[in-house]
Amino acid sequence: MSDILTPTEEALAEAPPPTRGGGALRYVLTKIGGGLVSFALVIVLGFLLFRALPGDVVATMFRGRPATPEMIANLKHQYGLDLPLWQQFVNYVGDLLRGDLGDSYVYRVPVWQKIEERFWPTVLLVGVSTLISVALGLWMGTRSGWRRGSRFDRISTGVALALWSTPTFWLGMLLLAATTGLFPTAGIVYSDTPPDFFSQALDIAHHMVLPTITMVAVTYAQYQLVMRSSLIEEMGADYLTTARAKGLRDDEVRRKHAVPNALLPTVTLVFLHLGFVIAGAISVETVFSWPGLGRLTYDALRVGDLPLLQGTFVVLAGAVIVMNVFADLLYRVLDPRVRAA
Amino acid sequence: MTVPKNQPSPRALAWRRRGAAFTAGWREFAKQRAGLVGLGLLAVIVLLAILAPVITDREGLDVTKATGDRMESPSWEFLLGTDRPGRSVLLLTLWSARISLTVGFVATLLSVAIGTIIGILAAHYGRWVSAGLMRITDFFLVLPSLVLAIALSTVLERGIGTIILAIGLTSWPSAARLVRAQTLTIEARPYIERARALGGGHFHVISKHVLPAVLPLVFVNTTLAVGSAIVAESTLSFLGLGDPDPMRPSWGSMLRSAWLDSAIIAGAWWYLLPPGIAIGIVVLAFTMCGRALESVLNPRLREG
Amino acid sequence: MPLLELRDLSVRYRNRGVEAVRGVNLTLDAGETLGLAGESGCGKSTLAMSVLRLLPPNADISGEILLDGEDVTTMKWGRLRAVRWTSAAIVFQGAMHALNPVQRVRDQIAEPIELHSKTEYSASALRKRVHELLAQVELPAEKGDSYPHELSGGQKQRVMIAMALACEPRLVIADEPTTALDVIVQAQVLALMSDLVAEKDIGLVMISHDLAVLASTCERLAVMYQGSLVEEGLSAEVITNPQHTHTQTLAAAFPTVGDPGSRYAPATSTTLPDAVPAPGDELLRTSDLHVTFRTRGVTHAVAGVDLSVRRGEIVALVGQSGSGKTTLARTILGLQEPTSGQVTYDGKPVPRSTRGLKAYRRQVQLVLQDPTSALNPRHSVYESIAEGLRIHKVPGDEREHVAAALDAAELRPPQEFMPLLPHQLSGGQRQRVVIAGALALEPKLLVADEPVASLDASVRGEILALLLRLRANLGLAALVITHDLGLAWNIADRVAVMYQGELVEVGPVDEVLNDPKHDYTRSLLAALPTTQPKETDLASG
Repeated sequence: MSDILTPTEEALAEAPPPTRGGGALRYVLTKIGGGLVSFALVIVLGFLLFRALPGDVVATMFRGRPATPEMIANLKHQYGLDLPLWQQFVNYVGDLLRGDLGDSYVYRVPVWQKIEERFWPTVLLVGVSTLISVALGLWMGTRSGWRRGSRFDRISTGVALALWSTPTFWLGMLLLAATTGLFPTAGIVYSDTPPDFFSQALDIAHHMVLPTITMVAVTYAQYQLVMRSSLIEEMGADYLTTARAKGLRDDEVRRKHAVPNALLPTVTLVFLHLGFVIAGAISVETVFSWPGLGRLTYDALRVGDLPLLQGTFVVLAGAVIVMNVFADLLYRVLDPRVRAA
Repeated sequence: MTVPKNQPSPRALAWRRRGAAFTAGWREFAKQRAGLVGLGLLAVIVLLAILAPVITDREGLDVTKATGDRMESPSWEFLLGTDRPGRSVLLLTLWSARISLTVGFVATLLSVAIGTIIGILAAHYGRWVSAGLMRITDFFLVLPSLVLAIALSTVLERGIGTIILAIGLTSWPSAARLVRAQTLTIEARPYIERARALGGGHFHVISKHVLPAVLPLVFVNTTLAVGSAIVAESTLSFLGLGDPDPMRPSWGSMLRSAWLDSAIIAGAWWYLLPPGIAIGIVVLAFTMCGRALESVLNPRLREG
Repeated sequence: MPLLELRDLSVRYRNRGVEAVRGVNLTLDAGETLGLAGESGCGKSTLAMSVLRLLPPNADISGEILLDGEDVTTMKWGRLRAVRWTSAAIVFQGAMHALNPVQRVRDQIAEPIELHSKTEYSASALRKRVHELLAQVELPAEKGDSYPHELSGGQKQRVMIAMALACEPRLVIADEPTTALDVIVQAQVLALMSDLVAEKDIGLVMISHDLAVLASTCERLAVMYQGSLVEEGLSAEVITNPQHTHTQTLAAAFPTVGDPGSRYAPATSTTLPDAVPAPGDELLRTSDLHVTFRTRGVTHAVAGVDLSVRRGEIVALVGQSGSGKTTLARTILGLQEPTSGQVTYDGKPVPRSTRGLKAYRRQVQLVLQDPTSALNPRHSVYESIAEGLRIHKVPGDEREHVAAALDAAELRPPQEFMPLLPHQLSGGQRQRVVIAGALALEPKLLVADEPVASLDASVRGEILALLLRLRANLGLAALVITHDLGLAWNIADRVAVMYQGELVEVGPVDEVLNDPKHDYTRSLLAALPTTQPKETDLASG
């Protein structure tokens, strides 16, 4: 048979798909560039929402309180709202670039200072609960997807759907009502806790239990459902038959072949849904009076503190954009196919 | 060629085909118990909401005319007790269904319409249009939509219209991505190439091939999205961004009052549970319907 | 004791009712090669999968599968896992999705070695063993670090073979190992497999829909039809003297290039036109046509092509995938804009405006490769055929036009086909609907892109005969794009051989295929798997 391979054959053999060197740096730069563009859009959106929309901004601030025309004019002048729009925009962007988000109308301090003080509690709450719910969701999703239709699958999918259908804040209120006295109902730490690290950490953990449970209960379900369906999509794949034919045990086929492939779409979704997590954080922090950015947002909107609201909007949206750039970079590490594209 | 006159017209043929496809789809849907249960629940709830003015008296929502005591526990007169001003919680829950469902439906229609148009355009017209539209979609997709909705409803005048707008304008990106992906799959099919080779233009391809293929998916997406919209409405109302008129309550604003009236500390479970359970049931019903529809469209997801 | 023995094997899928495999008896001795042939859905793949019990859980197996004398159907799971890949290994169609996309191929080859070896392999020993295996399939060691998507179809198939040999099995089952590959790569992979199997004295069961591929690789042939084994024997005998009617159809479907008996005579039970009409004047011409793509570097898909088609003439455009033949067809249809050069139709350049193109497209129609996907699954036959009529607002009774087109495509009686949906038709009928859709506009030229490549062998001849009759009855010219030299031999007047965007040889079929001038045409001819090796050697020599 080999004699039919003529000398010209080597040259005629099909070329493999092109591989490109130096793509890594380009990929990273593209993604970071994309992130910067998105951030610029957030800044513009922040301006349009709070300054350029038809609603009367100052009237919002005075909501429910009597105000004389002089007071309104005064306030407009104080916040530069009597300038033409383009001038306001230039000032706004210039201030932002210097790290100045304006002054809070209610707290009478720079918005930036307020955000800084509330930033870490939110990172702590969102970070811990996201880690727990990702781990829980992926584990449950893998188990229920692999044994589709089993009792575990039916029950856990049902529970996940029910929790997913529940408003976060209501779940928090129910937990509060159900555990009266067992856990603190508000704040992050008691004022009379000794200042040493151990006592402080223990007290914070005690305060965190209910908010974390609420956050996890609402977010893990998404990860479970996504992991489940993505594993089911992979179940029919030919390479799993190859793996079985090789003599791998069922759990090895799952662990070594099915899960690594099913994880890819899930990872993307975990990060895409961060906005959803932030929404959960606002509700949870409101219900449990957790001194984070979410509670700050609620306080700001309650009293119509627009500069503060604008600040939390820019910071929360910016944080999500940063996390998504990170996700794109992580995805490249996980999926070799993205490296070639 | 002679054609017998008793043959049905092409239009009748096309309608018969659509009818057959619908029947087949329904049969597949009817096999799924969860989907049927969801559909049944929805039918009952929507019916109750529509009939609310007939079976009850709207006057009962008026705070000044409340007949009950302050946070009275359930009794024969008030099956689910009363709220702080003494109004019947059962009555409130029933009337709230009207606002919550309306907001859920209309906001979803708005978002799905925006999403479908952007999705189809982004997939059908390549290059710059697509790149630009997807850039915008991705931007709004990662943006925390609740924060955006909060910002929108803070600045605009409070009311149902604002809340619908806030939810509709912030929740379209996932629909756009889904529709775009589906359109791309359809457009890659050779029958699109064939239609182009036959001389069909953009309008022909979109209206005859792409839209009919994408619509079932859009329908499923709508069903699933109504649930999310209702939850979003309740969250916005809970945060105090809903309609301030006490004659137009929603489940979210009921929960807000319960929270502000310290129902938790007072142990007034009858004030706390009904609105939340109502939201849960409605959302779950939409989700079950949506998932059943999804598996009709995608046989691979079918439980086996 | 035979290596593999199937005794009265039947497989039934619980959700389908009919048996996929019915009472098959088959034996294979050590070192023997057996080809298993059949059309899609005949049960050959089910049979292959049942040997290692890889069928889905809803499949019921009855009968015995003796692998080295041990019945696979009654094995315990532990024993079955030990037998998998060590006694028998499978070469899947690797060009598709049989490799894990996110794992380096090195690790995928090493996986069964680690799993099954009695002794602990050190990392370096394992690496060495993988390199040995890669060398056996003529791949350099560094390809082991690649991910599947970085390899070409042929390379992926080689990796699949290396993987199958990893545990030195005595039996290898190859399921359509070369189906998605080009002729030349197919020849390489087949040669490699034959050599390795002979060298290591491995028993081979090869499954394919292509009798020629099997006959050129295997000593014995078995033919399956609707789940049963209908014929079995030595390859040469089965091919030259097929007994069962189904085998006869399969054997006749792929003509021997150079055989005068199959010139203008595709295998069909219908009548063929008596005479070959002489072509008229020039209908279509491309002059110095270039198409260049700029995504990911510059690709010259079409690099200076001059091609003409005359009225009533059938021209075959032959080339491998990636040779630019489909791009050329798309450019002729105005679906792709040329970078330079032009297409003239009936002496006038083809317009580029939307309106001009629309008028042009009434004259030139497209027939696609896969009729299943070329028809909108939601549209009935009537709607699919009327689509063109409605776009061009053709005057007259729509229903009569559709009926006439169906009749011309020999779907009779037309009324019965009109309300059907594509999934209610067979593959051949679907392709006829596509052709009817094109005929409805009464075009002068058909551009057919691999019109029979996705059809079963027995239908192939019917569609080709239809093209010949359409030319004879309607004077329809056709440009047929194909990778299949046999097809050109069957129906074309002239053949144009395309290689890397250029036409390397154009001329009458008899001249070019009997006496090729260009190296590339020669290697294409040489790579044809053939049932009669000597004759082809004569033809190409």
